Amino acid sequence: MSADELCSLLRQCSDDGTKVTVVGGNTLRGMGFPPSGDELGLETSALKRIVSYSPADLTVGVQAGCTLKSLASRLKREGQFVPFDAPKTGEATVGGTLAAGWLGPRRHRYGRPRDLIIGSVIALADGTLAHAGGMVVKNVAGYDMSRLYVGSFGTLGVLVQANLKTLPLAQTARAFLAPLPEGTRSRAMAQVRALAVEPSAALWIDGFEKEIPGEPGAEGRLFILLESSDALLERATRDLRSAIGRAGVPETRIIDARARDMLDGIIDAYVSTVADRSMTYRIACLPDRSEVCVLGARDLVRRFALDADAIADIMNGDVIVRASRLETRDLPLKLQVLDDALHQAEPRARIIAGDHPSRAAFNVWGNDPPAIARMRALKSRFDPHSTLNPGRFIGGI
Amino acid sequence: MSAMFEQRLADAIGAENVKTAPEDLAVYSFDAYSEGKLPAAVVIPSGTREVSAIVKIARELGEPVIARGAGTGLCGGAVSVDGGGVVISFARMHRLLELDAANRRARVQPGLVNLHLSQQVAGAKLFYAPDPASQRSSTIGGNIATNAGGPHCLSYGTTVNHVLALEIVDESGEVFTTDVDDAGYDLTAVLVGSEGTLGIVTSAWVRLLRLPESTRVWLAAFPDIESASEAVSAIIGAGIVPTALEMMDSVIVKAVEEAFHAGYPTDAAAVLLIENAGFEDEMDTYEAALREIAKRHGSLSWRAARTAAERDALWAGRKGAVGALGRVAPNYYTQDVTVPRSVLPKALHAVEIAARENDLVVGNVFHAGDGNLHPLLAYDKRDRRQVGAVLSTGDAILHAAIELGGTISGEHGVGYEKREAMTRVYSTDDLATMARVRDVFDPQRTLNPEKIFPAGTRCVEVSPPVRRGEHSAS
Ligand SMILES: Cc1cc2nc3c(=O)[nH]c(=O)nc-3n(C[C@H](O)[C@H](O)[C@H](O)COP(=O)(O)OP(=O)(O)OC[C@H]3O[C@@H](n4cnc5c(N)ncnc54)[C@H](O)[C@@H]3O)c2cc1C
Repeated sequence: MSADELCSLLRQCSDDGTKVTVVGGNTLRGMGFPPSGDELGLETSALKRIVSYSPADLTVGVQAGCTLKSLASRLKREGQFVPFDAPKTGEATVGGTLAAGWLGPRRHRYGRPRDLIIGSVIALADGTLAHAGGMVVKNVAGYDMSRLYVGSFGTLGVLVQANLKTLPLAQTARAFLAPLPEGTRSRAMAQVRALAVEPSAALWIDGFEKEIPGEPGAEGRLFILLESSDALLERATRDLRSAIGRAGVPETRIIDARARDMLDGIIDAYVSTVADRSMTYRIACLPDRSEVCVLGARDLVRRFALDADAIADIMNGDVIVRASRLETRDLPLKLQVLDDALHQAEPRARIIAGDHPSRAAFNVWGNDPPAIARMRALKSRFDPHSTLNPGRFIGGI
Repeated sequence: MSAMFEQRLADAIGAENVKTAPEDLAVYSFDAYSEGKLPAAVVIPSGTREVSAIVKIARELGEPVIARGAGTGLCGGAVSVDGGGVVISFARMHRLLELDAANRRARVQPGLVNLHLSQQVAGAKLFYAPDPASQRSSTIGGNIATNAGGPHCLSYGTTVNHVLALEIVDESGEVFTTDVDDAGYDLTAVLVGSEGTLGIVTSAWVRLLRLPESTRVWLAAFPDIESASEAVSAIIGAGIVPTALEMMDSVIVKAVEEAFHAGYPTDAAAVLLIENAGFEDEMDTYEAALREIAKRHGSLSWRAARTAAERDALWAGRKGAVGALGRVAPNYYTQDVTVPRSVLPKALHAVEIAARENDLVVGNVFHAGDGNLHPLLAYDKRDRRQVGAVLSTGDAILHAAIELGGTISGEHGVGYEKREAMTRVYSTDDLATMARVRDVFDPQRTLNPEKIFPAGTRCVEVSPPVRRGEHSAS
């Protein structure tokens, strides 16, 4: 389907009241309220071209249906990348990842996807094809519409094309895995946060033993990715080892081969489910609160006799918590009560995985933000008949 | 201005903070770009509640509201175009409210001067990265409203990448907050850069970065502007993104040398000022790679500043460059366009031709690494021929930038100056889409009217009212 065909289809749907749900790679189908089933499913998979790539400008224009993996492999040939850090890159699309507002563990260093978008083409519900921004890295000509579309969950329009800044890949990447013995976690996390050469990603992993490699200690394990120039790598390695050594962590395994792939594998675990018997939350919190947040959320999950797996993003503060149980009869009920309890403690907890039917009754986006009324007004100004992804976003949007 | 209006403002924020005498208003009638008309009043509130009260009064009486920081804007953004309106000055809201060093962020009032923020957090070994050349006077509020850039935005990103949360007074005087980590639409992203047309920033959480362990600054001189700009394209093309990569041509270099004695080579046609902030361990390799590229593009000389004093001297020249141009002519006009970095040589060539055809002196000092050009057109405003020449040269540069795949403003904004030029890069549909956002946040066009949108952009559809009753954070 071309962009023009997409526009006329949307116009028609808007006119005759057909609801539309936009589908990218379907990798984040666990996010948002589930579609009601009556919608017309609109796939972006035909729009998958890299429209323009200028390595010397560090910019790329790519259609929404292009998978993260095919974009990444094209960019890699030029020693570049876009730090989406989203799961299942073979299926996930650029449009879906942007619309979902996915946030990965390297963003403290490379920026959020919304920081990297410099232009866009979007099909609005009334069939308007609107362009914003362009192919330059600095642009203040009018409102920054492209950034507004990132994270809008396909409710303002259907993203057709995104223009993005690309970044040069660092010369080397090195991963570290360390089991955390009793009483070392807090200090290790603080030490990592204080490192002069900041890691590209630093995660405290508690559980996820099937999904993520590495022997856990009594307090889980640490995963760290360093990306740097060759000249800096030795010093960064030395500093890191002595810092976590000071925290009482005796051994660290260094992994040089496919270090970045290892991070991709961990990011896949963020949305991995336990059959259809799990629910995974992401909680945005400040870096210095992430440990406390994990501990609190984990206790809650266990209080309902469910298994807890968790990841704390040491640099950015995100917390991922998965509640699951294979052999229990009243799982939906337990998850429902947990959902309420968790939001009492962490109003911002949102569901990112766990694709089962009872999800519709949960607080999937977390409590309404202060500006919810303005968000609703924005939605009705862009999509007055609520044609696009109706009811799937926060606050009934 | 009616006496009743003045009285109500005075009751709300104190008579001493309300200015209505023409001689008091005059200084608020222009910014660094233009002279506008006198506003009806200038008010100087002390906090969010007062801002809210002012907006309510202005709205009741049908007066537009124009937020104003330091007035260093370069597109007529903070001035009253048609005369009248209430200008809100943030001169009394200039405090750092909270420093959260552990999470590297700070909450600030909009009137805080950019440089003062970095100075006040230096003790915690932190700094605020966006550094417009006007940072000694421009305010965080103004920077947020224009999504200001600066030399160091090449690697750190512009203001929008450093704003975490906002407190906003809307067109009706209500207060609301946004946060990049809130669920729902990223309202912060669209409020930043909206030039005071969607809401008034009354406080912001901004991101701070750690002061670098080691910083080096280099100066490379080139025999002509083409080779310097090709070197820039080659550096970026090689995947090297320094912290800053600035270019100055001979007009600027000579003016700067006379003013500051920064040690710039006056025989060069162009110099590149390059900074890398990072770690000592990698500086030598880094320098070698840059130097090699410069050499390949015919550099005449290469200088490294290692001490803080040497670095500051080199930067003083760059940051004072615009002021130094005052030695060349009594007035200057700064154009601001961005092009893809690989076409920098072509863009600079177009600038040169445009200036030559109009018989003007042009100086170039700009954020080369970002492809963000700032041709400074020197003139004397008492000479009508020169004024006309500036206008047509500025226009020719806009035209060239658009032809080369660029845009009409990289960092100074649209304001009043470039509102009509918006139609040259956006279709009616594109602009109408932006206007939908305006319809939601400012349906009556109370906030900074006559800015950004070309005259006459109105949406045919009736806009839905914004729902009230959201809880605010003030
Ligand atoms: C010598 C010189 C060098 C410069 N260098 C740079 C540079 O390197 N990079 C760059 O980006 N710019 C630069 N500028 C332009 C200017 O300094 C920036 O646009 C700056 O961000 C304006 O800040 P200000 O406080 O002076 O705002 P003002 O000029 O007072 O206002 C600018 C705009 O912001 C709005 N505004 C101000 N405060 C608020 C608020 N609290 N809420 C909502 N809206 C508000 C105003 O309505 C107006 O539209 C330079 C200007 C000069 C004179």
